[in-house]
Amino acid sequence: MPDTSLEKTTQSVTKRLLPARGSLILNGILVVSAWLATMGFHFQQWSAQQPASTTLFLLYAAVTTAGFGGWWFLLRQIQGFKDTSPARKLWTLLVGGSVLMIVAGTVTRFGRISAPGFDLGIGFDLDTGVALTFPTIVKMGIVSLAMVTFGFLLLQRLRSLILVKRSHSSERNWKLLIGLMIASSATTFFMQPGASQNDWQNVAMVIVAVFMVVNAFRLSWIVFLSFKEKLATLGLIFLLGLFILFSLGTGFENSFGMVPRGLEYLEFYFMPLATFTQQAAVFGMIYCVTSFLSLLFHLPTSGDYEQRAGERATMHTLAALVGQVFDADRLFATIAASPVEAGSADASWLVMPDPETGTLRQHVVAAHNLSPDQIELFMDCSELVDALSEDTDGFLIREAAADHRLNVRSSDGLGSLFVVPLVARDERIGALFASKSVVNGFERDDIETISIFAAQASVAIDNARLFEQQVEKERLSRELSIAREVQRKLLPQQAPNLRGTSMAASSVPAQEVGGDYYDFVKLDDDRYGVIIGDVSGKGTSAAFYMAEMQGIFQSVSRLASSPSEFLHHANLALAQSLDRNVFISAIYGILDLKKETFTIARAGHCPAATVRLGGESRLIRTPGLGLGLDRGDLFRKSLVEEHIDLAPGDVFVLYTDGVVESRDVSGEEYGYDRLLAIVDEYRHDDAEGIHAAVLRDLRRFLGAEDYDDDMTLVVLKWHGLPLEVLTGTECVLIESH
Amino acid sequence: MSNFSVGFRSSGAVQILDLQGELDAHTAAELEAAIQKCQKDNRVHILVNGANLMYISSAGLGVFMAYIEEVRESGGDIKIAALQPKVYNVFDLLGFPMLFDIVETEEGAVDKFSSPSAD
Repeated sequence: MPDTSLEKTTQSVTKRLLPARGSLILNGILVVSAWLATMGFHFQQWSAQQPASTTLFLLYAAVTTAGFGGWWFLLRQIQGFKDTSPARKLWTLLVGGSVLMIVAGTVTRFGRISAPGFDLGIGFDLDTGVALTFPTIVKMGIVSLAMVTFGFLLLQRLRSLILVKRSHSSERNWKLLIGLMIASSATTFFMQPGASQNDWQNVAMVIVAVFMVVNAFRLSWIVFLSFKEKLATLGLIFLLGLFILFSLGTGFENSFGMVPRGLEYLEFYFMPLATFTQQAAVFGMIYCVTSFLSLLFHLPTSGDYEQRAGERATMHTLAALVGQVFDADRLFATIAASPVEAGSADASWLVMPDPETGTLRQHVVAAHNLSPDQIELFMDCSELVDALSEDTDGFLIREAAADHRLNVRSSDGLGSLFVVPLVARDERIGALFASKSVVNGFERDDIETISIFAAQASVAIDNARLFEQQVEKERLSRELSIAREVQRKLLPQQAPNLRGTSMAASSVPAQEVGGDYYDFVKLDDDRYGVIIGDVSGKGTSAAFYMAEMQGIFQSVSRLASSPSEFLHHANLALAQSLDRNVFISAIYGILDLKKETFTIARAGHCPAATVRLGGESRLIRTPGLGLGLDRGDLFRKSLVEEHIDLAPGDVFVLYTDGVVESRDVSGEEYGYDRLLAIVDEYRHDDAEGIHAAVLRDLRRFLGAEDYDDDMTLVVLKWHGLPLEVLTGTECVLIESH
Repeated sequence: MSNFSVGFRSSGAVQILDLQGELDAHTAAELEAAIQKCQKDNRVHILVNGANLMYISSAGLGVFMAYIEEVRESGGDIKIAALQPKVYNVFDLLGFPMLFDIVETEEGAVDKFSSPSAD
């Protein structure tokens, strides 16, 4: 695994760094040049066997600081920390550190400085700090670089852990720590290697120590780890702590550790760097201690954090379900299982009223970890739900076996029970039950979690129901649209083209379907029947009766020799099917083209209007009961026909009460007078013109387009002469929509 | 929405229902309930007073048709009095005067209950 992850690391590193390679290369060149320059300084010192002048030393200090400053930022850029786990960060640090220390340690073992009788130490003149041999310089350069690099890496890796939870104060504290470390390192600028610190430096050290401790308690990354991760990280922290101790922690003239007397080299190289690196090591070890202890003490509570994560995951599932409403059974099953999935219960079930039986009796709709039968044995869910009072958010039974409402023994595995209602839009739609196998098993967190699930579940169920209703509504709406189409086609699509006449007709239902009807029928070569009808009421039932009326008309009219005979037979036919409170009004007229007569009978309908050429207008109000009002003889006896000899220019207007009873904004009805007036005004026009004029006048009177009742208008005009002579136009049917 | 109400009065054995407002599909149920109440109380001599009845639709007319047979079978009747001209016209067009006693005055209608005319 290390091989492939190394590959992966290199791949991701190169991928990340490629775009910035320009600045990286530049930075790299500067750093390398600075390091070489520092080597050059020490070389110069050695060849001169003299400490350098102050100015040169100051220059050297500036170059070293700049160089290592650049190296810090370059390291930062190369590393890139985004989403790696703490454990990974630590073991990569250990690996990198080991490589560095092995290099440094190896280097120190070569080219031992020795001279008979002299203890040359590591090869520096202790008074002047000048290197004594050339290999010393090389060793110093490499060892210093390795140790400082490790110190930098250590600090940067720890920073990424400390700043896992970023806030203004955490960033500030970190920056202060680094700043103070740099500052206190700077105070050792003129210190000689191996000397002890003066009071000022000690004070500075104390201040730095304070900030080290402050930062050492930034341990929030520990909380998110699972139990296993915590164990692994525990080990790594321990190793890291030891590693720091044995690599950077070696003191002056201390030959033990991975890099014998490594700190000595660093002090001779550049004192402030040594101080800084030492402080980094101290901080590293402090942080290892605090994180070790924290990991240790957080081990027992790992389970709780994981449970919290589990609850959140379950809430996500439920939240997603709120959007998916198509499968009610699946929704119920998920809701019923959610308390168990979240770890807040051992068994849970959902109780809702049974729509099938139509009662409000609650029953188990879905159950998890217990079967509905078992539940029914243990308790009466309906009774418990009823026990939920109006304002509680649920009730808790701590000891199930002791509660008289339940039928549970201690061996049944049901120790405690929690019941919470599901409430949507102020209506209780069911309840969520959760049980635990131990007595007093529910903690406050469990109760809260289950209550949240119940709230979400309520919304989800309500949504599902609303969706179902919406689907049903749309289906009905579609059905009605279809019905409207069917009904529209039952009406004549075209008025008959009869010689000497013009006809125009229209019918508009108030709702999608209505109870108005008109029709034409050819009785023989010379005789045509025209009928208009109005079923009492509106809507779908009226539409059905209208369809029946049509059937009767089309079949019976051809068998009846006169209007009154037809209506009589129609009345008998309808007597069977009409409800007691339903009746149909109708006018039926027979036009005889040969005899030039129009015979008309009125069965309870609004009287037909007629206007003659000379301007005499009247309503044909012959006696006649509505159809369906009398099933006996009274209808036949009371019905009176009117027989009219046609004169050229005669106009007959058949209509339903929707026309004359329409009211304007002030509540005034259109009325018979206005109708007669407008027909009279346009009596010279053909049927189409008169028809249009009436509708126009009506619309103008009403002001708005909205008709409250079914509205039907049939205009029949007797011209008396063949139409070709008159206008040359055909009869057209006008449909108003 | 239509305003409609039914008032209850008595004149001896006759139960008088005072209709007020508009009787259409929305308000027909109220008249139905009133007639049902009369039936339950065994007051089958019902007089409908239409002095304040402003409008009637086919749904309202249907109520009369729905109960008249029952009421007559129990030995009573529904008579109508004091209709406004417009409303009377609606009854008349359909031929209701042939089926019901529709009288101009309340007193006239009450009289008819006590002395039913021969057919």
